[in-house]
Parts: sequence; structure tokens; C-alpha cells
Amino acid sequence: MTMVKLAFLNFKNGFKHYLSLIISQAFTILVLYNFQNIIHSRAFEVLGTRNREYIQLLMQMVSFVLVCFMFFFIWYSTNVFLTKRKKEIGIYAFMGLSNETIGQMYLLETIMIGLSSLVLGIGFGTLSAGLFQMILMEISGLSVEIQFLPKIRPVLVTIGIYLAIYMIFAIKGYVNLVKSSVLTMILAAKQNESFRQNKWLLLLKGIMGAGILGLGYSLALKDSRGEAMANAFGAVVLVTAGVYLLFGGMLPIGFQAAAEKKEFLYSRKRVLWVNNMIFRIRRNYRTYAIVCILMLCSVTALALGFAMRERYQSIIHFENTYTFQLISQRPDLDETARSIIAQDNEIISSSRIPVLNLDQSRIEDEEYGQEYGILPYSQLQKLAEEMGMEFPFQELAEDEVIKISHMYLLSMITQRSQKEIHINGQPFCQVTDVTIPYLGYLQERMSFYVVNDFVYERLRPVGEELYTYNYKIGNPAHFFQTRERLDEMIHAQEGDRIARVAIDPNSNELDWIKVLYSICVFMFLVFIIASGSIMFMKLYNDAFEEKERYQIMMKMGIDQEILKQSIAAELATAYGVIFFVMAVSSVFSVKALAKMMFSDLTLVNLVSVAVVFAILLLWYVLSFKAYGRNVGLRGK
Amino acid sequence: MKEERGMPIAIIRNLVKTYGSKGFQTKVLKGIDLTIYKHDFIALMGPSGSGKTTLLNILSTIDQPTQGTVALDGQDLAQMSNKELSKLRRNKIGFIFQDYNLLDTMTLQDNIALPLILNGVSSQACIQKVETLASVFGLSGHLKKYPYQLSGGQKQRGAACRALITEPEILFADEPTGALDSKSGRDLLECLKMVNANGQATIFMVTHDPFCASYANDVYMLSDGIITCKLSKGAERKEFYDRIMDLQASMGGNGS
Repeated sequence: MTMVKLAFLNFKNGFKHYLSLIISQAFTILVLYNFQNIIHSRAFEVLGTRNREYIQLLMQMVSFVLVCFMFFFIWYSTNVFLTKRKKEIGIYAFMGLSNETIGQMYLLETIMIGLSSLVLGIGFGTLSAGLFQMILMEISGLSVEIQFLPKIRPVLVTIGIYLAIYMIFAIKGYVNLVKSSVLTMILAAKQNESFRQNKWLLLLKGIMGAGILGLGYSLALKDSRGEAMANAFGAVVLVTAGVYLLFGGMLPIGFQAAAEKKEFLYSRKRVLWVNNMIFRIRRNYRTYAIVCILMLCSVTALALGFAMRERYQSIIHFENTYTFQLISQRPDLDETARSIIAQDNEIISSSRIPVLNLDQSRIEDEEYGQEYGILPYSQLQKLAEEMGMEFPFQELAEDEVIKISHMYLLSMITQRSQKEIHINGQPFCQVTDVTIPYLGYLQERMSFYVVNDFVYERLRPVGEELYTYNYKIGNPAHFFQTRERLDEMIHAQEGDRIARVAIDPNSNELDWIKVLYSICVFMFLVFIIASGSIMFMKLYNDAFEEKERYQIMMKMGIDQEILKQSIAAELATAYGVIFFVMAVSSVFSVKALAKMMFSDLTLVNLVSVAVVFAILLLWYVLSFKAYGRNVGLRGK
Repeated sequence: MKEERGMPIAIIRNLVKTYGSKGFQTKVLKGIDLTIYKHDFIALMGPSGSGKTTLLNILSTIDQPTQGTVALDGQDLAQMSNKELSKLRRNKIGFIFQDYNLLDTMTLQDNIALPLILNGVSSQACIQKVETLASVFGLSGHLKKYPYQLSGGQKQRGAACRALITEPEILFADEPTGALDSKSGRDLLECLKMVNANGQATIFMVTHDPFCASYANDVYMLSDGIITCKLSKGAERKEFYDRIMDLQASMGGNGS
């Protein structure tokens, strides 16, 4: 029999045992593949360049988390696999096979497992991508065409990343086997792990974890300008590392301390599961950490989805402040425009305000590419009164400005007040930055600085004063007709420069936000299913290893109900700890998101966490049932 | 048999156990009658396949008889529900298995305390009782250790402690020295003999080892599903051991 045949036979016979390994690896591949698919899909082509960059950066961050996860997961699973196989492989050594040959056989088997995972992962990934496309179409009633069917690049990237990581550990295993003595191979399966780890080392790990996590949180919330992207990426890396260390240090130390307090341990039959936790945690903390991070991603994705939806509504409102806007040097256009619009429509509200248009080189601000106009304080106050809008500002000092800008869908610049800017060489302090839609759609195109009336007068000679005329109509039935009439009027005004803005209330150009919303919901689903299924798989497998222990306890006459309660407590603790760390972390991640999106997402955060809790509860019940069955407890 | 003694703990009448499906049945136990009294220390010997373990499994409620009755502490096992059997196992019976069956995730202290904890005994009382019993079995210095840190003998003495901690009516031991070296085996048997002599335990032990059996007060020989004879100890253990050896030789079995 050739070695390939032997390896294949081993693989075939042991397939049942490797199944959970294969499925969980396939799942990570599926998730990564779906991500790559979205990053490389045309979904982002409809976004503006800037938004696209932001979203893609976000996607890259999430991909980073996933690749990290994949790395640790493969590391862990190949290690377990190696230890399990070592003893069996050791028998071959007795039969006279050299270590190299045994190593090669192991390598072949490992590759077969890897390839099976890859085929399953990409296969189901393609199917789920197709499913996603259907869901997406359904949710957003798309006007954007997105192709999620297999594209070669995401497939190649996914395969590349997976194989690169997988082969590192497969080769590591091979080297390990070649260097092992027969004795260590035989004894491998019998190796007794010491359950209790060094307290001080754990403490150090735990404290480091908490510190790094805190650093990550603070980085996420840090007011920042140019370095915001780096901060956000840094925060993701730090939180990921922090959660790992925290789970690797704090959890074992906590349970070990609990096990030493016999009064605590011996009451309410905790002895049954606390000891098990200590035993499991050493091997499981990586899984717990990654599940926690995936869940955090899931909550953040859902929060982003909710926030996008909310923002969509508000942008719609923002753009619908005025139906028609005219900008001209002429201060007397109101009557003409009003008469044209009123011909077929009812004008609900209208306003007029002068805007000083400065040469953009006279304004210095970090937000490059942004255009600015200057507004006089008192005129804006008047406009707010006419339009019934809020005006929560005090009279400005001569060196103060208020910035009026558009709503950012997602901004990496989080510092909004007490910022210094320069206008015409003079320094000004930006008191605040608001998005109240005083100038309607114009605010989408440019930002405005409100200055003290005297300052405005002083600046007038260096700029060009324009007037904006704003009208909102009731019924949009005659929108196009009125727009045409306005254009005719503008053409007739030879020599005068008049710009016209008309917002069709029925326009669908913001559909891409809805696309993003659906993508977020999809991400949420992927993450929550991924985290739940990884946890489920882990516990499912653990239960088989626990079977012997449960058989002993049953022989001792321990009631099955008590064993069930103990399983329930153990699993609830595992799920609970993960949920807790995730919930706390989500406060920060969602807050960071809220800062970028300029809104209060507390409620969104609560709702997202609640949704995750409900889904997790479902996974918990499933895990509990499977665990009980696998350890050999009989149903009622 | 010892019908003249005090309170009976286990009464076995006409016990038959058959394995296999119709047409291919093997009768393992062919009508056993046996009464175990309080403070007895009984060893059951017999060659491989004689039905020793089957009898022990039925007595310890893990298996059910095909025919006949087994009553433990006055209750007929056949009439009891699963829950009642669990309770009986927990409160009235102690076990020592050949392969210790300690839970490897717990320290020795937790392992021994486990049955008490499950019975709702207060933490303080658990700790106290474990310490007392552990000192009898020479385990005081090992309570904080995990099973993998203990020798086979220590593990088995730990298992004996766990079995005795609830002060069961009867202790069943299945080849308790089977996995031990002779020194560790002797240590364990001395401990068992001591607790039996102190009136702390009634012991029913299955073994194939005449040396191990010589620590008991009575030895029953099981052969081909029936009890063929019984030996009772005199004053000397050594002399008892010789008699067991002679009996084994006369039966022509190796006893394993």
C-alpha cells in the first residue's frame, strides 16, 4: 500500500472524528470568503469615493479580525489534532517506519483535511453569497446591481490566506513529528496537562489583557483628526489582543480562586462544574476570546445597520428641507422665483440669506477638499426664525465661528469643537459644529462658517456675496414642470449667474445607504452564526471528551437531573462570560461608531445587544441539549 | 451460610442472569443464594467468566437480574424506580473500581468530598470529614493534588475514601488491587480491614487474588455461575491465605 493510500484510508476512517474540525474550519473560510466577496463586489461602486474608502477600511479591519481568528483557530485545531494522532502514529514507528515517513503521512492527512475544509468553505460560501444577493434585493428593492456570484479574486484571496496559515501549522506539525522520539509519541495521548497554571503568570496576563483592552477602548473613543484611521485600526488590534489576554489570564485565575474557596465550591454543587471550567479553560480560552470578538463585530455591525437606517431617514429629511434653491448675485430674485413656483404649487416655507463666497485659499481647515461659505450671524438667526428651526447659539465673539456642515454618514474625524481655523489669515476658534439643515441641500455640497456680523462686514470686500433663495413646496406632483420653468427663467436672465438646485422628493439616489444597511444586517447574521456555531462545535466536541467523566459520576449514583443542572451552569458560565465581555466592549465600539456618525447610538447599542442575547440563548439551548446527549445522559 | 448473624444488608435469592437473545442465550449466574450481614468482609473469588463481575454489577444496581430477587437494605431492587436506585447508590452504597474512577478534573479533596456535597452536607462538615477519613487512609498530605499527581495506590485509597465518606451500608469493591503493586495493594487492604474492624464498613469485594482475598473474613468461591464453597478465616491471615491457595489448587483453576 502506498503512503498516499494509507493516509487516505486513515483520513476516510477517521472522517467522523475530523468532521467538527473540518466544519468549523470551513465556516471560518466561508465567513472570510463572504467578506472578500463584498470587498471586491460592485456594491461599493455606488458609494462616493470617500465613503467607499471608509467602508472598505472598516471591511479591512473586520477582515483583519477574521484572519487573526483563522490563525489562532488553525493553530489550536492542528495542535489538538497532532496530539490526538501522535499516539496512533507512534504505533507505525514500532512497525519500523521512519519519523520522516510518519511525518509525511501526517502531512498528507492534514492536507486532506485542509482541502476538504476549503472545498466546503468555498462551496457553501458561494451558495450563501447567492442567498445574500437575494436577501439584499429583497430588503432594499435595489436600483444598484450587485453581483455576488463567484468572482475569481475573492476566491483566490481566501484560498491564499487560508492555505498560507494552514500550511504553516501543517509543516510545523511535520517538523514536530520528525523531531519527536517514539516514546514521546506513544506517551503523547497520556500526557497529563497540569490543570492549574502559575497564578502570577496568569495575573500578569490578565492585567496586561485588561490594560491593552482599556487602551483599545480609549483609542476607539479618542478625539482625532488626521490619524483617525490609524486609531480605529489600532483599536481593533488592541481590543482583539486584549480580549485574548484577558480570557487567557483573568478567567483561569478567577476559576482557580473559586476552586480554592471550598465554602464557595462545595455549596450548590458548584464542585461539579467549576473544576471542569478550570480544566477546559486552558484549551478553550482562545475559542472563547474569538467568539467574543466575533460577537462584538456582530453587535457593531448590527448597530451600524440600525444607525445607517436612522441616518438614511435623517438625510432624506435633510435633503427635503427645500425643494428648490437658487443662488445668485442678485438680491432681488425672490419675487420672480416665488411667482414661478407658486403657479402650480403651494409654497410651504421659504427663506433668503446672503452667503459670502471666499476664495478657498483664504480658508485653512484640515478637511481638505471641502468648500466653504461665510454666513452672518444675525441673518442666520432670522432664517431660523422664518423656517421654525432651532437656533441654540449665543452671540459670537469676533474670533469665534460656528461651523454648519452636512451630515456625515461616517466620518473618521471626531474632533468637532475648540478647533482652530484660519479665515483670510485670521485665527478663529470653532465653537461648535452643527448639522441643522439651515441651507438644505447646499450643506451637502459645501460647509459654512457663521461669523459675527462685524467680521462678516470686514470680510465682504475680499469675497463675492451671493444670495440663496430657498423654497419648499407641498405636493411634488408638478416638480418637473416647475423645474423647467425655473430653468427657462434662469436662461432668460442673461449676464446674471444663477445656480439652481432642485430636489426631487421621489428620487432614489440614496439607495446605496440601504444597500449598506442590508450588508450590515448580513454581516451581523454571518458573525452571530459564526460565533454561535464555533461555540457549539467546541462544546459538542468537549462533551465527547467528558463522556467518561460523566459515566463515572453516574456510576457513583449522581442523579441525572443534578448532572444536567451542572452542565447548564457550566455552559451558562461559558456563554455568560463571553456575552458580558462583549456587551461591555460593545459600549465602546458603538460609541466610537456614534462619534463617527454624529449621533447617539445608546438605544441602538442596547437593542443590538438584546438581539444578540436572544440569539445566543438559542445557541445555548442547542449546546445544552447536544452536550447532555454526547456525555451519555438519557432523556426523560 | 451465616444465617445466625445480626442485621442482613443484602439478601440474594435464586439469582439468575442470562445474556444474549433468544436461541443464543448464555446463563452467567445460575441461581445464587447469598446473604450479606452488617460488618461482614466478604471476598468473592472465581475464575474468569465465572460471573463475579455480573454478580457485583447486579448487587450494585448497575445491572438487573433475569430471575430471582435482590434486596438491599430491605428494599427489593426490582421494585425501585431509576431515581430511587440513584438515591440508593448515593446514600447506601459505596464503590471502589479497579481503575479508581477518580474525576481527573478535581483535586483529591474535591473527589472525596463529592458524595457529601451532593447530599447537601455543609461545606465545613465536608472539609472536616474529608480530613478525618483521609488521615485514616494516609492521604492527608495529598488532598490538594490532582489524580495525575498521585500514585496508583494513593488514587485507590482516595477512591476508597470517596466510597466510605457517606458511611454507606455496604462497600462494593471490584478487583481493588488489580492495578496496584503489592505494597500499594497491601496498604489499601490494611486500610479496608481497619475500617471494617472498627465497624465503619461492610465490604463485599470481588477479586481473583488469594492474597487480597485473605484480608476478608469469608471467601466465597464462584464457579460456572454458582457458589461452590465458602471459607471462613480463623485467627491467622497467613493460614487463611494457605487454605485459599489449597482450595484454588484443588479446584484446578488459576483464579484469574
